[in-house]
Amino acid sequence: MLTYALRRILGMVPTLLLISVVCFVVIRLQPGSFIDQYLEDPRVTRETVELVTRQLGLDQPAYVQYLTWIKGIVTEGDFGYSFVNGRPVSSLIWERLGWTVFLAVLTLLVSWAIAIPLGIYTALNRYGPGATILNFFGYVSLATPDFLVALLLIALVLNFGGTNVGGLFSPQFIDAPWSLAKFLDLLNHLWIPMIAIGLEGVAGLMRQMRASMLDVINQDYVRTARAKGLAANRVLWRHAVRNAVNPLISLAGLSLPSLISGTIIASIVLNLPTIGPFLYDSLLNKDQYVAMTLLLFSALLLLVGNLLADLALAWADPRIRFE
Amino acid sequence: MTARPAPSPAAPLLAALTVSLALCAPAHAQANQSRANVPPSLFQTVGKKGGTLTLSIVSSPQSFNYFAVLDNNTYTVMNNVLDRLITLDPLTNRLYPALAESWTFSPDGRSATLKLRRGVKWSDGQNFNADDVIFTLVDVASNTGLRANQSAVFKIGKDPLTFRKVDAYTVRVTAPKPYGAMLQALTFVPILPQHKLAKYQPLRDPDGFMKAWATNAPLSEIVGTGPFMLGSYTVDQKVSLVRNPNSWRRDPRGTQLPYMDRLEYLIIKSPDAQIAAFRAGQLDSAPITGAQFPDLKRQELAGAKFRVIRGIGLNNPPVHWAFNQDSRDANLKKAFSDLRFREAMQLAVNRERIIDTVYNGLASLPGHGVAPISEWYTNTRSYLRSYNLGQAGVRLDGLGYRDTNRDGIRNFPGGGPNVEFNILHAADNTIMPGIAVILQSDLGRLGIKVNLQGITGSTVLPTALAGNFESVLSTFGDQPDPQLRKDIWQPGGALHYWRRSLQPAQEGGTPNLAAMTPAERRIHDIFAQAEALGNQAQRKRLYTEWQWLFARNLPVILIAKPDSVAAFHDRLGNFYVRDNRVISSNYSVFEK
Repeated sequence: MLTYALRRILGMVPTLLLISVVCFVVIRLQPGSFIDQYLEDPRVTRETVELVTRQLGLDQPAYVQYLTWIKGIVTEGDFGYSFVNGRPVSSLIWERLGWTVFLAVLTLLVSWAIAIPLGIYTALNRYGPGATILNFFGYVSLATPDFLVALLLIALVLNFGGTNVGGLFSPQFIDAPWSLAKFLDLLNHLWIPMIAIGLEGVAGLMRQMRASMLDVINQDYVRTARAKGLAANRVLWRHAVRNAVNPLISLAGLSLPSLISGTIIASIVLNLPTIGPFLYDSLLNKDQYVAMTLLLFSALLLLVGNLLADLALAWADPRIRFE
Repeated sequence: MTARPAPSPAAPLLAALTVSLALCAPAHAQANQSRANVPPSLFQTVGKKGGTLTLSIVSSPQSFNYFAVLDNNTYTVMNNVLDRLITLDPLTNRLYPALAESWTFSPDGRSATLKLRRGVKWSDGQNFNADDVIFTLVDVASNTGLRANQSAVFKIGKDPLTFRKVDAYTVRVTAPKPYGAMLQALTFVPILPQHKLAKYQPLRDPDGFMKAWATNAPLSEIVGTGPFMLGSYTVDQKVSLVRNPNSWRRDPRGTQLPYMDRLEYLIIKSPDAQIAAFRAGQLDSAPITGAQFPDLKRQELAGAKFRVIRGIGLNNPPVHWAFNQDSRDANLKKAFSDLRFREAMQLAVNRERIIDTVYNGLASLPGHGVAPISEWYTNTRSYLRSYNLGQAGVRLDGLGYRDTNRDGIRNFPGGGPNVEFNILHAADNTIMPGIAVILQSDLGRLGIKVNLQGITGSTVLPTALAGNFESVLSTFGDQPDPQLRKDIWQPGGALHYWRRSLQPAQEGGTPNLAAMTPAERRIHDIFAQAEALGNQAQRKRLYTEWQWLFARNLPVILIAKPDSVAAFHDRLGNFYVRDNRVISSNYSVFEK
């Protein structure tokens, strides 16, 4: 298994290189460049524009820019400078990573914790009124974009006189040291993003779980288990769910890149301090090294997520063996 | 750097010059600080100290280094920390002393001597003096190696202004020739602390200097003379500023400003979230647009605890409609270069409807190159003409733009192709698409086919500057002095994009004078003459003539100038409208 994992990791290198080339080409294909904003400012002379172009290396041919960037990563772990912030890209990403990971992991856990039981429930009670209502809500929340849910929730809270809209904290707690009051304030703010971002995930996962549960539940081995007189709960959890959950593990691996790009619009609407809006800004400003690093990072997460999912699958399902 | 003299010996001397010493509490404080030293128009009433002012910015500041980035969020934050030599009175838009306490002009109008305010301290306790000013103006602001340098405003033609230290509290600015807007240029430049930044050697190592005061720099390094100083910064969430204990500003009673203890900027990216935070009481004031005005006004009238006000601003950029007079299409080039055609176009502009529906009534008729509330303005309103499609049609008929092939669209004279052109505009803007659609429908009724070409707002000007358009809706902000907009309105200027063929072959060269129309030539000369005059009355006469020429010759058609609108919470004092101007400042507002 170790050699398998190693081989997979080594295999990522050429894939990532290829992806980085594609990212670079796509970013270069956008019309305009970072320099454009300087053109419309009356204080900036043409001389300055040329100077900035030179300083940023934008006067060199595209392939030279790309090779310089890759060389920096490989030899020094240097992901380049942000044109906009005048700081190394890695430190900019690093300072935003904390809340991003926190929110992504939390939404993932919450949506799994809600969706799996609901999926099982709707599969077991296919024609019951409860399942019908849940399915209906599932369709609605699948069809509603997350930012719209966010806007609706904000409007609702405001109209009921609430004030905890937007952000993760009330203004006075943002730079306060951690305390019980700050934690409670966080919980007070957290439920809106959890619902807005998590809801779509819950609906999707619930439908997946329901479908694979329905597949499994009519299998021979489930009938056998029942026939040999096992308790209903034991049949459900040990035999049915354990098999039905396999496709969801693969799915979880694919959801890792959503850490970066998954919730850009909802994060902007809800004013969350995550990486998504940072990526969006860097694309708008044509801050090419920030955008490329984030896209590359997103690709890396996808590959790593896939690997982790495969390993987890092997652990969960003894039938799966590598080689 | 030489050692600075301690301020104490100077104090008694100064005190003797001023009568009102008695009000001055601390012994070392200067006499001139006992009365208000900020524009009196900022005070509706005298306020009281205490409280937190919470405002918003749309994105994290890119840096705390004013000259390293072009970023309004950086400027918004740092304008509370750094001071200029001279500011503008918000009521009159005239120059008002800040770090420079007074100034005198030499008789030939070529140089100005500025007396600096004595006793001002940086927020870390160091004295402010002429070395800081010279460092900022010479090493930083004029340093073309820095990305956001301001050398452009220090140039008259190709020659730069020079700055010289006379003594520790006197600085002299000299122009190569008489220059009327000399002091205006100084209202742009925030003064930096030499003792903190000289070590980065901006002249020798511009790149290194631009990395100073980055957003991860220790905040104690970032010092200023302004009312506030940086307290803490939480990435993507909040920038907190606290009262600068050494602030030199005083209110009319001699109380040290700012009134507020803290100033916080929440970082809120979406305009909707900003309004939501404002309604939830998290923000004391929110930037609003004309589109949001009616809704908030209704809530105010229904008893919400905030107030929504409107006024007329100076800078608010008026929208103009420009035609590419160097169009690659020969027919269009001929039409657009013809003043009579542009006059017919102006008759088809329904300003009343645009102001009413697009701006929700929150805009007014524009001036020609000068804001109507500016002291330079002359009333050219009669030349805006009123909307009259019938008359526009008669004019076009007279010029030969008739529908000769009977397809409902006019043709170019002599049986040419259909008259059809694009209007380039910012598609991601709340205003421009609305104006473009109204123009399209009115011109459609007139028999001219208009295609709307909406692109990302930030690419409109570069596209126009490249000459890659047929007609365009764009904006340029107005400035207090017409000299500062010379690049736009002087034929041959770098931003005079609708007549690119007039631009000099090389930057800084002579524009193509031979290709100018008589009116363009006259405007060109007016700007050249006014720039070299120190006499304000003569300058005013010239700029008045220019406004008439502008209004009559329509280089571009001005459409409307948006009003200033603001929303703020009831608890704020000294946030008000006077003479149609919205007046407030972060250091003079207080908690009622």
